[in-house]
Amino acid sequence: MKQSQEAWKIEAFVDGELDLASQLEIEDRLPGDPALRRQVDEIRSLREQVREHAERHVAPAALRARIAGRLQGAQAVPAAPAQATVPRRASAPARPPATGSGAAEAIQRWLGWRPLATSLGFAAVLAVAVNLAWLQSSRDERLTDAVVASHVRSTLGQHLVDVASSDHHTVKPYLSSKLDFSPPVDALQVPGSVFVGGRVDYLDGRPVAALVYRQGEHVVNSFVWPGPAAESQPRFAVERGYQTAHWTAGGMNHWVISDVNREEFQRIVKAVQANDAVR
Amino acid sequence: MSDGESWARFELLAMPHLDAAYNLALWLTRNDHDAQDVVQDAMVRAMRYIGGLRSEGARAWLLQIVRHTCYSWLKENRPAEKVLLDDPDDAWRDLPAPSADEPPAIAMRKADRQQINEAIAALPIGYREVLILRELEDLSYNDIARIAEIPVGTVMSRLARARGLLRTALAPTARPVLRPVPRSSQGGAS
Repeated sequence: MKQSQEAWKIEAFVDGELDLASQLEIEDRLPGDPALRRQVDEIRSLREQVREHAERHVAPAALRARIAGRLQGAQAVPAAPAQATVPRRASAPARPPATGSGAAEAIQRWLGWRPLATSLGFAAVLAVAVNLAWLQSSRDERLTDAVVASHVRSTLGQHLVDVASSDHHTVKPYLSSKLDFSPPVDALQVPGSVFVGGRVDYLDGRPVAALVYRQGEHVVNSFVWPGPAAESQPRFAVERGYQTAHWTAGGMNHWVISDVNREEFQRIVKAVQANDAVR
Repeated sequence: MSDGESWARFELLAMPHLDAAYNLALWLTRNDHDAQDVVQDAMVRAMRYIGGLRSEGARAWLLQIVRHTCYSWLKENRPAEKVLLDDPDDAWRDLPAPSADEPPAIAMRKADRQQINEAIAALPIGYREVLILRELEDLSYNDIARIAEIPVGTVMSRLARARGLLRTALAPTARPVLRPVPRSSQGGAS
């Protein structure tokens, strides 16, 4: 048992999952312990092999659409019973004018409407609360949310690009004609990167250019729109599992988002910056 | 939360991890059609609990539901695939040591894509899942423990065991590797 725990410990060391003290301890032992070194190399090599070759299956578009359709469709169903509580009698045609029964009917009608009125009132309160929360969240956060939502939407539906072309002479004029600015459009100098095309999207309260690239199975969305003249360095963040970066250069706001891994993402961002610099 | 909000939240938090969900389901069921069924069921279940989800850890949260749905599905549809995992933890260390003259790193490099995928698919499900979650989803031991509903120590032992089994399966002695005839010699003959 002792021996096997030692073995797990080395695996965990390679995975970077040990507490710092143990991690450092093994690191210290490495130079003077060839057997340990070999073991670590062996684990690393297998790890790289698996990461490089094991298939990461991508959900078929049809499955994605089916799930979106089913779950989105599901929301309309529970609303129906609430409607049914409204008494149909309200719209009944002329009835004999009898004051007594008229008052009773009015009360009955009010009672019938009450659940709906209550729920409307509740919805109003909720809407106000949601709006307040919305106002409180900073503009940056909202923009981040919008960028993530736009990226997700582009990968979910059929609407990834308006103009599908790897030729920037086709994409650039199209985008320029739809926008009040001319975005930088170029393929990325990153191995394995494919320029898919561009589309017009809506972010930060205005139409923006979205350039779309594929990196293997991953989609990269690169958003551009006019911004302040001040230049800024890319700020990287991980939002809901997506790598994001945003910066300002050449009077343009840039937002790049993808689900590639961090190293690859940094290469992509560098390439986007390089294209901008060339222009 | 209204239903419209639920879907908006779901679209934002859960849908981005659909590929991860499908990948796990496919590796566990080893069948595309079954994986799609499982994922669809899992997503419907997930939608019901979306209100309780915080934005961090959405992937682990979703994968936990997917895994759970997978196991229920397997139990119902493939009862023969009973998972046996309680072999002694030390057993895998008895594997033959790599021979001295061929460093394992080099021997390993020869294993090709198909061989690796087949070897992973052949792993017992409990080892397969920790390996997939670790190497393909790059999840931490803690997340894996949460998803697979096992202690972190068990994650470590299973991962070590999974890698040990894989190493044996991919060792050059385990299976003769067919080497393609070099292209130049083919060209010369014709």
